Amino acid sequence: MITERKPKNIFTQGPITASFIADSIQKHDTKTNIGGHSIFLGQVRADEIEGKKVTAIEYTAYEEMALEKMHVIREAIFAKYPLVCMHVHHSLGRIRAGEICLFVFTSSAHRKAAIDACTETVERLKAELPIWGKEIFVDESHQWKENK
Amino acid sequence: MPVQVIVFGQLTDILGNRPITIDGVADTGELVAQLNQRYPALANAPYIIAVDKQIVNGNTTLAGNNTVALLPPFAGG
Repeated sequence: MITERKPKNIFTQGPITASFIADSIQKHDTKTNIGGHSIFLGQVRADEIEGKKVTAIEYTAYEEMALEKMHVIREAIFAKYPLVCMHVHHSLGRIRAGEICLFVFTSSAHRKAAIDACTETVERLKAELPIWGKEIFVDESHQWKENK
Repeated sequence: MPVQVIVFGQLTDILGNRPITIDGVADTGELVAQLNQRYPALANAPYIIAVDKQIVNGNTTLAGNNTVALLPPFAGG
């Protein structure tokens, strides 16, 4: 079966800015069949580990594999929920504590599909996409982030 | 036929960031044995293996010219 959706790039170098998110919302004003949006934003947390504070996370990915896998997830979510659209953006490179590193945006005629699809997409991408985060401490030492 | 090994995340602390070319291995089992000998710290590291971007389970034949990726636990988001 030929699907209409092609693999999209989800990666952005650097943090996802509030203005990018605002523009993305604005762009939906022509899609008047939408009645509800759901947005998840992941923010880099300044965890304290053994007295040392995380100042940034440096994200890397096996990009080609991640994009293929994200396409599979996207197709599965569209098959399961009556969505109008879905947008996923994940940062690469060094993202400082307090900055946004993940933006998942789902839209549907009614809220429930948008909310459920957003949650499921976030859970699946955290579990299935080959992405890694190096937590950088104030003294430039590091440890590797683990998803809980 | 040589295979190219790429690693990510915490495994770059052990194997570095550059792809490694390994020759004369017939399957992933032989490849891992050879890598463990060269990089002893790898033996205790958690990871899964993808051959040409497909995750594989158990010992997998390498036909040659494959890209073998060692993937430590994912930490996106």
